[in-house]
Amino acid sequence: MNCPRLKNWFWERYNIDEIRDLVKQKSVPKHKYEIWYYTGGITLFLFIIQFITGMVLSFYYVPHFEHAHKSIIEIVTKLNMGWFFRSLHHWGAQIAIVMLFTHLWSTLLLKAYRKPREFVWVSGFILLGIAIFFGLSGYFLLWDERAFAAVRVATGGAGNLPVVGGFIKAFLRGDIDVTGDTLTRFYAFHVGILPLVTLCLMVLHILLVQYHGMSVPVSIKKEKLKETPFFPNFVYKDLIIWLVMLGIVVTLATLVPPEIGKKADPLAPAPENIKPEWYFLFLFQTLKLFPGEILGLNGETIAILLISAGILFFFLIPFFDRKSQREERSTLFTWIGLIYFLYFVLMTIIGFIS
Amino acid sequence: MKKILTSFAGMLISVTDLFAQQDKFDLLPAASYDRFIVYQNLVIFWIGIISLIVIIKMKLKEVERIQKMGINKEEKNIPVLD
Repeated sequence: MNCPRLKNWFWERYNIDEIRDLVKQKSVPKHKYEIWYYTGGITLFLFIIQFITGMVLSFYYVPHFEHAHKSIIEIVTKLNMGWFFRSLHHWGAQIAIVMLFTHLWSTLLLKAYRKPREFVWVSGFILLGIAIFFGLSGYFLLWDERAFAAVRVATGGAGNLPVVGGFIKAFLRGDIDVTGDTLTRFYAFHVGILPLVTLCLMVLHILLVQYHGMSVPVSIKKEKLKETPFFPNFVYKDLIIWLVMLGIVVTLATLVPPEIGKKADPLAPAPENIKPEWYFLFLFQTLKLFPGEILGLNGETIAILLISAGILFFFLIPFFDRKSQREERSTLFTWIGLIYFLYFVLMTIIGFIS
Repeated sequence: MKKILTSFAGMLISVTDLFAQQDKFDLLPAASYDRFIVYQNLVIFWIGIISLIVIIKMKLKEVERIQKMGINKEEKNIPVLD
């Protein structure tokens, strides 16, 4: 498409040459670990899919406890391609969380969080937390018995935190127990608050990455590395991976559509052998390890405190890892990262099997 | 008696509602022809994706070839025509 008049119209008003020169100058280091650079881009792409499919679904979803479950059944059974958009939204979310965890551990093991990129890590970590809350709130919108029990357990668990627990539980539930008010609240989080916060944080995260440039691992920093131009080389490679990802999500959405359980009944007991979503399994399994009472104290409270401390330590790793800050190899934090990774994987597998 | 009968009828209606919601429904289009169309479209979709990847790969190779030759960079002190 060549529209010289339109092009001139823009050129007269905005200095596009400057932006073009900036993009042309940007380059990406070429080395054996460069594959991990693409994980962030894939996550961004999956978030875009989530935004689009979520917008489509919100046209038909009814956020009321009496109609929520029925409206989803109607989306799946009566709407043209409704089943596809719902399935795409479900699988997009699952793979986005897998990619977020992959991005997190690759950043940790390559020490890409080290000085001066601490805030890139912080913004990314908060984005992961938001994505998990996106998952929980979106899951609850189904208003089926599994989702209902999962939210009851999750909000109850948060309530076990000392001092702030009671407030968090009441704030999330909007009532004493999980009710229709919780659904309204989770809907507001899922379609209003979380997307807005995600958008702001994502822009900040991407701007910080652009500002600092791509991080190169300490082990190969001394080598003379070749550079690949960001545009068009890296963008083309990104596009190829995005296309493959789109194919995988669409295939899963078509071949494995997500189930919809029975409508939730707040008065009914939780179904037997109920398990949370896979990304909560490691927490669920950890909670199971603790007895009901430890030295006269509530075992669940101690477990939640220990888990919170573990997550807080993980979050603050860039500030603890002094060796990486000095551009030295930091084997201790590589091991710490590996232990966290193995624990997560092992507990998730045990959670699945048991 | 009337009240008891009315309340019993009401309970019966509620119970039927409970049975109704336990029905399984199709998560994919139910008719086999519709399903065939869905799977067929999935194959066409993958052919489209593979074709696009091939085109982008070809374009990328061409870009890399030009970069290797060094003719993508603008020459310095190039005479201005206008």
